[in-house]
Formats: sequence, C-alpha cells, structure tokens
Amino acid sequence: MGVIQFQNVGKIFGSRDSGFVALKDIDLEIRDKEFVAIVGPSGCGKTTCLRMVAGFENATDGVVSVDGTPIKRPGPDRAVVFQQFALFPWKTVYDNIDLGLRNLNVSGSERANRIEAILNLMNLTQYAKHFPHQLSGGMQQRVAIARAYVLDPDVLLMDEPFGALDAQTRVVMQEELVRLARKNPRTVLFITHAVEEAVYLADRVAIMTRAPGRIKEVLDVASIRNAEDWDSHEKIEDVMDLESFVHLRTHIWRSLREEKAAQHA
Amino acid sequence: MPRRVSIGLATILIVCALWYAATAFFGIIPPGRFPSPAETWSALVHVSVRGYAGGELTMHVYNSLRLVVMGFLFAIATGVPLGLLMGWSRKAEAFINPIFLIIRPIPPLAWIPLAILWLGLGDAAKIMVIWFSAFVPSVINTFAGVRNIDRPVLEAAYMLGMPKIRFVSEVLIPGASPMIFTGLRLSLQASWTTLVAAELVGAFYGIGRVLSVAQQDLYPGMILVGMIAVAILGWGTTRVLGVAEARALRWNTAALAAKG
Repeated sequence: MGVIQFQNVGKIFGSRDSGFVALKDIDLEIRDKEFVAIVGPSGCGKTTCLRMVAGFENATDGVVSVDGTPIKRPGPDRAVVFQQFALFPWKTVYDNIDLGLRNLNVSGSERANRIEAILNLMNLTQYAKHFPHQLSGGMQQRVAIARAYVLDPDVLLMDEPFGALDAQTRVVMQEELVRLARKNPRTVLFITHAVEEAVYLADRVAIMTRAPGRIKEVLDVASIRNAEDWDSHEKIEDVMDLESFVHLRTHIWRSLREEKAAQHA
Repeated sequence: MPRRVSIGLATILIVCALWYAATAFFGIIPPGRFPSPAETWSALVHVSVRGYAGGELTMHVYNSLRLVVMGFLFAIATGVPLGLLMGWSRKAEAFINPIFLIIRPIPPLAWIPLAILWLGLGDAAKIMVIWFSAFVPSVINTFAGVRNIDRPVLEAAYMLGMPKIRFVSEVLIPGASPMIFTGLRLSLQASWTTLVAAELVGAFYGIGRVLSVAQQDLYPGMILVGMIAVAILGWGTTRVLGVAEARALRWNTAALAAKG
C-alpha cells in the first residue's frame, strides 16, 4: 500500500508570527499506485510538499501521512529521486544501487538478482562498475531512479528529476518513466514546473499557486488518457499532438497564467 | 622521461652548479658562512660513517622519523574522529569549538617548554608536541570536509535508512575524505616543523640534535646535511601520503578530471 495524505497542511519557515508562509491549507490524497504531479511556479512550495512526505521537513500545521501513519523521519519506504541526482560519487553504479538493499538486510543472492533486474530494465548493465561522474546526466538520473526503484518502495517521490537534463535526454527519460510506471506501478508524487511533462506522466495534476502555496485545482488526466487511448502512442510527440493533450495543457497554462496576472494586479 | 621531471632535474643541476661556483670556484661566499659541495659531502661522510652528535646518520634519521610517524598517527587517530563528530553533531561543535578558539592561536612550539617540563627530554615530550601541532589541522579540515558534503547526498543517505556505523564509514568519511587528506598533508608538514624545533630545544638523538650540535661546533657542512636530510624525509613522507591519497580518492581524482 502507499496512500499519501495531506490534511490541512501548513508550513511556515521561521517563527509563526513573522516567518515565511510557504504552504497553507494543503489537502490532497494520493491513492495507492496513483501518479500525481504537482505543477506550479518556482517558490510555490511544491518541493516542500515532497520534502514533507520524504521526512526531510515537518509540517507546521496539519498532518502528512502515508497509509495513515504520520511521517516522522526519512525512510526507504519512501524513495526519493532528487533533481541533482544525489548519487554517492565514491561508489560505483552497482554499489549506489546496492546500498539501500544492504540497509534493508536483504540477502546477498536476492540483492544480486534485484540489482541485475533493475540494471537491465534501466539499460545500465554495462555501466555497473562505472563511477557516477563517468556517466552523462541522463545516465546518472537513471541510476538514481534505479536506486529508488530497487527498494520496491510503497511511495516514490520525484523532485523535478529531469530538470537538470537537456531537452532530448529529458524526453527519453519521460518515455522510460512511463514504461517503468506502467510495468511496475507505484504511488508516485512527481514535482515539476514543466506542464507537458506533468500531463504526459501523471494520472492527476495538482496546480499550485504561490505565496502562500496552495493547491488551486486538481485535474484528472487519467480518465482522458484512457478515453483517448494515449498509451497506444509510443512516442511522446505523438501524444503531445493529440487534441485532448493540447486542451489539457492549455488549460493548465491558463490557470498558471491567471495566477501570475492576479499577483501582478 | 616526462618533460616535467627533466625540467625539474635540470633546475636542481643548475642550482648545484651555481652553489659550486659561488662557494668553491669563485669563493664569493666564505666557507664559514655557507659550505661548499665538497665540505657538505665530507660532513655527510663524517656523520654516516663515524657518527656525529651521539650517533650515526641512520640512527638520527630513524629516531626523527619514528617520532614524526608516531606523533602524526596519534594526531590523526584522535583528530579525524573529533572532526567527524564536530562536523556531524552541532551539539558537539558547540561544546568543542570554544576550547578550540582558545587553544588554536597558541603556536604549537610554545608547548615545547611545558612538554619538556612534564615529560623530560625523551620521546614522550616530542610526541606530545607533534601530536599537538598535527592535531589541529586534522580536526579543522575533517570538520570542514563533513560540512562540505552535498546536502542532497546526505538526504539520500537518510532516505536509504543507513545504520549509524555504516553512515559514518560509507558516507561521512568518504564524503569528507578529500578535505581529510588536505588536513593530513598539513598535519604532516606541521609534524616535521615541530619535531625539528623540539629536537633543537633538547634531544639525545635526531636530526634536530645534529643541527643544534653542528651550530655549537660552527660546522656549516653538517648544518646543511641536517637541513637536506629533513627536506628529503619531509618530501618522502609526503610522497607516501600522496600515494595513499591517490588510492583512496581514485573516484575523486577522476571526478575532478571529468569536470576539467
């Protein structure tokens, strides 16, 4: 299971009276095996939402829970993929992926099997003995995703995982993530400011506003995806050409732009 | 032979030639001020074969080297863990830092009189002073190394649910190791400086002892032999440390090369 719940969550950095209100009244439930993307402008608190589920930050108000248990600290049941990869530069690709399994006291032979499988799935087999800096950014992020997925976590938290990649690599990784998510579904919370990416990947998209960070709107993409049979298209550009995709994307753009306009007014 | 090495050798040869020219050939520098190459050689033979200042060269070298290695190892065995602790725990830093702020400005050499008063002219006093001078750079650089580890890398480690000992051995130490080695290099230099100073003040054997006896004997050739011996030993020990560093930081040297 992996149900993420935000109940009336608020986050204030600094003191309660004079601190910065990063998040206010966040209510969101992410169902088991559901892929939810949060989009919003920089500084809207979307990353803070993810960090609270990860256990890196505590909520000032309300409760963030997974399967009904309030989150206290980070743990391997909630695997994180960071924007800057955050691999251990002194460990090989294999050892980076192995570390979490060793911490979980998985037996040696099972570890070897699971790592081999994930290396294979992520096309990393030939790079097992490389150090992270010997790989391109896209490859490094693949390793980071493998390191998270190999733990078989209830919840996968991805914080702008493709933000540091070039446009071409990004597209390949998006397609691969969709492939992975269909094959081996997890509850995913995905943070991004790229609207297309959110619509392409997610079952639902939550649109956030800034200062204070709130959820403005939650869009159901999955029903449209299924109705219009997006998954029959293999390439991301074919999906992005579909009228239903364009419509959704434009809707989100407008919603975000209204927000900008409202702030300037 | 690589270009760098050949240029280096050429420089040394030129300096030696100038030395010979200035002392023996033209006699610009009088022998009482600075020895000629021949005088230095004869001093080297003197201390190597007949012995000087209470022993032969090998014995002085052995004694000095032994003290440096012991003081240095003792310093890093205490300094690196303390630096790790301070880097890891803000509480430990808050406790220990004030002590450091008071002790740090005291030059290590200023401890020599107290060390001799407590422990006499033997090995123990020198090891203590070397420990003291080498300890500070190990602590400070290890501390800085821990604080320099990328925040997301630490968070990734928390996320993976690391047991404490494994966190220290597989994340904190390797993450801080580039800075730890910088600290070790500084510690090693400090060890030699302090050793020679301590032996100058009072010792039965050692290169510092050779230097101080040669000074009393107005024996410039022997002074130069002592100085060169320290230079070679310092270079050699740094070299050994460099090899260890290259081994331990293979991932990092390659990472630096990849960044360009």
